[in-house]
Amino acid sequence: MKFTNSQLFNDELPKIGDVILKPISKQFIKVIALNKLLLYSIIFLVLFLAKWFIPNDGIQQNFWYLFTILLVFSILNFGSALLAFSKRKYAIRTLDIIYAKGLLVNSITTVPISRIQHVEVSRSWLARRFHLATLNIYTAGESGSDLSIKGLPNEVAREINDFISAKVNGNS
Amino acid sequence: MEIADFSQPVRQSSKGIIIIFGFKTFRFFKKFFVLFIAFGLSLTKKKSFLNLTPTTILLIIIGVLVIILVIAILKYLNFKFHLSKDDFHLATGILNKDNTIIPKSKIQNVYIKQNFLQQLINVVSLNIETAGDNKSEIEISALDKVTALQLKEELFNKSHTDNGKVDAIEEKNVFFQVSPKRLILEGISQNHLKSFAIIASFTFGLYYEFKEYLKEFRLRERIESVVDLNNESLFNIIVINLIVVVFGLLFSLLFSVIKTLVANFNLEVIENQKTIEINKGLFNKVSLSLTPSRIQNLVVKTNRIKQYFGLHTLSVKQAMVNVKQRKNFTIVALDKQQVDYLASKLLEGYAGAVNRCKPHSYYKRILGLHMFIPAIIFNVLAFFIFGKDMWWINLIVIPLSVLYVYFGYKKAYYKIDDAFVTIGSGVIDTTINILETHKIQAIKLKQTIFQKRRGITSVIISTASKAVTIPYIKEKEAKSIYDFLLFKVESSQKDWM
Repeated sequence: MKFTNSQLFNDELPKIGDVILKPISKQFIKVIALNKLLLYSIIFLVLFLAKWFIPNDGIQQNFWYLFTILLVFSILNFGSALLAFSKRKYAIRTLDIIYAKGLLVNSITTVPISRIQHVEVSRSWLARRFHLATLNIYTAGESGSDLSIKGLPNEVAREINDFISAKVNGNS
Repeated sequence: MEIADFSQPVRQSSKGIIIIFGFKTFRFFKKFFVLFIAFGLSLTKKKSFLNLTPTTILLIIIGVLVIILVIAILKYLNFKFHLSKDDFHLATGILNKDNTIIPKSKIQNVYIKQNFLQQLINVVSLNIETAGDNKSEIEISALDKVTALQLKEELFNKSHTDNGKVDAIEEKNVFFQVSPKRLILEGISQNHLKSFAIIASFTFGLYYEFKEYLKEFRLRERIESVVDLNNESLFNIIVINLIVVVFGLLFSLLFSVIKTLVANFNLEVIENQKTIEINKGLFNKVSLSLTPSRIQNLVVKTNRIKQYFGLHTLSVKQAMVNVKQRKNFTIVALDKQQVDYLASKLLEGYAGAVNRCKPHSYYKRILGLHMFIPAIIFNVLAFFIFGKDMWWINLIVIPLSVLYVYFGYKKAYYKIDDAFVTIGSGVIDTTINILETHKIQAIKLKQTIFQKRRGITSVIISTASKAVTIPYIKEKEAKSIYDFLLFKVESSQKDWM
């Protein structure tokens, strides 16, 4: 095609399409669901509190409209979050880390290991209940190039963390 | 030339006390600016403020100034720096002692600045910046010029030898010096909407701060009495609005020109053996050097009018923290050859003579969508405010949208070769982004569910200073670019800084 160098390397270069992406831990869907449900319950709680305690005509009359809109929004949001779960995938190659996510807007990001500044494993309270961890990968400069892989099994996250740390420290 | 010794901890020039004092006082007064205005206003009326007489208040102000002076002196006494073989050491802090050590190899930038006060007492400040977070910037605010230049030289000298002195004498070639005429042209061809927005926000900001006081002047009533709001005088209103708009535009123009003149006064580009030095500024003199290995992106910008005058702006993006400094890394009013020359100097081997590829025509749709939503909002607003008669605004909106899509697509292209990625974009402006492949930090493919069906995707390339996008190309092509760039990054031995 128009891209001049592709002919030369096309066959020899490792292809992004050939990489087998690993799904993250199945357990993480529970974390997502619980987080979302918590968020919705807070929103609805506020809504009901407003209905009971604020004798404002505007709120009283439009309550059911608001309720329906929020309900539809929550259901759509919840559904898409669950569907998008299967899109969260990652892969570690010798020289880089790949992370894909997103249902409506799908993205696949690759960070070469030689560009990583540091890695860290963080675990939220909820994630700890399910033995999960988040792997944060930081590169230099722009925050757009940082990666955060959520919902890895704890041991896997540690393993990757150690692997990258060793490589990063070995390089410099 | 007296050679200063940086191996022992030294203080800055004793004039530093004045500088620190000046800064602190300025900041103090800026913070309580509104309070002072309020105080002044109420003084004119009641002869007292919060039950304080003018003399007490004067005493309080003097007291505050004395405290600031004492702090300034203590700060000065506790500010010591020195150089060891590979590191720069700095000790600061009056009560909380801070000890900062910066390895020379991690220094991104060293630049020399001179603001108005510093120009008066003839000292310069030296800033050292690394690529880390906000705290990593160091400013030594008062050094005499010779010392500062020498320190800068030594900071860039990796091994502590005396070669620096030899380098300093190397031939200095003034490559480019801006003429006042070109600067004024540059100012005129600025994006005045931006200046207008700045002025407008400033005026509104002031207005809100002083709303209360303005009320007392009954400004509104006065304006209304001047502008006779009769039903018959619709013509008057239009004329007045027109006058306001014309004045606004003139004012923005003037503002742009002055801003450009002040910021780029005596702009000078000096070509050294390896680096390029920029000197500029009227009230705030800045001197900075650009090292090719530290540059992450190059951005060349121009627009229709500027193109006519042959004016191009070159911005150099580095991995930097200080947003305010970023705009200093631009060189304005260059002509085409100069831009090309500088680009090839800063990016070794940049030719740009590869065939350009266009985004997929799907991009036109996206651009159309960009215009469609504002157009709808415009229409709805016009309908609700002015009624049905306002349909004619579409006569303006639709051609504008068509032009937007046309130019947006026309100016979009990308070129990729072994060492560089070049991306062209812009609608009113013409922007060219250039980056070196080995400075890429991460690459991302992004596609929405609608684009997936058509096999179209965007490639986002991040460097340490900026992310650029190759918009909406064929998926197959995008993936081969993705693979190719990754291969380039991972196979090259070069580091990103």
